[in-house]
Amino acid sequence: MFPKLDPLLHSELRLAVMSILASVESADFTYLKAQTGATAGNLSVQIDKLAAADYISVEKGFKGKMPCTTCRITPTGLEAFENYVKALQEYLR
Amino acid sequence: MELNNELTAQDSLRVITETLNNNRRAILRNGAKYFLLWGAVLTVFSLVIYELWHCTGNPVWNMLWFAMPIVGYPLAAILRKHETVVPKNILGSLIGQTWALYGVFAVTIAAIAVFFVPMHITLLIVVLMGFAEAVSGLLLKNWPIIAAGIILGIGGAVAAMLLKTEAQMLLFTFGGILLMVTGLIVNRQYK
Repeated sequence: MFPKLDPLLHSELRLAVMSILASVESADFTYLKAQTGATAGNLSVQIDKLAAADYISVEKGFKGKMPCTTCRITPTGLEAFENYVKALQEYLR
Repeated sequence: MELNNELTAQDSLRVITETLNNNRRAILRNGAKYFLLWGAVLTVFSLVIYELWHCTGNPVWNMLWFAMPIVGYPLAAILRKHETVVPKNILGSLIGQTWALYGVFAVTIAAIAVFFVPMHITLLIVVLMGFAEAVSGLLLKNWPIIAAGIILGIGGAVAAMLLKTEAQMLLFTFGGILLMVTGLIVNRQYK
């Protein structure tokens, strides 16, 4: 019996965002947009979904006069990501 | 990259692997700029001090080394200001911290040697620089950088004892060129 894959992470864009955030301290919106190649609107919606599930924390601030949104993975998010990768390994075994 | 809920396990694994690799490349490529910057600053300072010492015969020009952070840090800040904010991963942080620690050791030892207890500054600083370079190579898993660090550290220590007066400054020129080459290697490796 294969473990169920977390539906929140089983989407290309959300998975990419979580992969980036799992390997860095934090990343701002512009960097996530550049690395994923997603549109600002789509990325914003997916970030909100991840934040609503407490997988990431989002901090809105300013860098100089420019608005800056910084995302960080939470312990819950990291655990979910690790479980997702473990589940994937089961599928691929 | 758009929404796609029809991912297979292989697709998911590909997304994770590609994203992690691209992210790692972006972070390390960004770090290469600082190797180039500090390498250039070190090369210029060592050549200027060598030339002034050589022309006047006065070692007092060594005091100019203390101006190196005053020139280097604002330049690094300008570089940071004009670039996309790239996050730090553990590897980038470790390399940055290694060189920050090197800077603290070098400036402190130089200050102690100049003002309190005379020491062979060139020997100590060149060994530390070679060590930091070799550690960077180990972290980057890059053998040419490790070898360059060992050559700079050990070869530099021997050369520091053999070379007299201003010729020792050329060891730092070599170190600066090595830093720039490291920057170019990292830039190429993670392109």
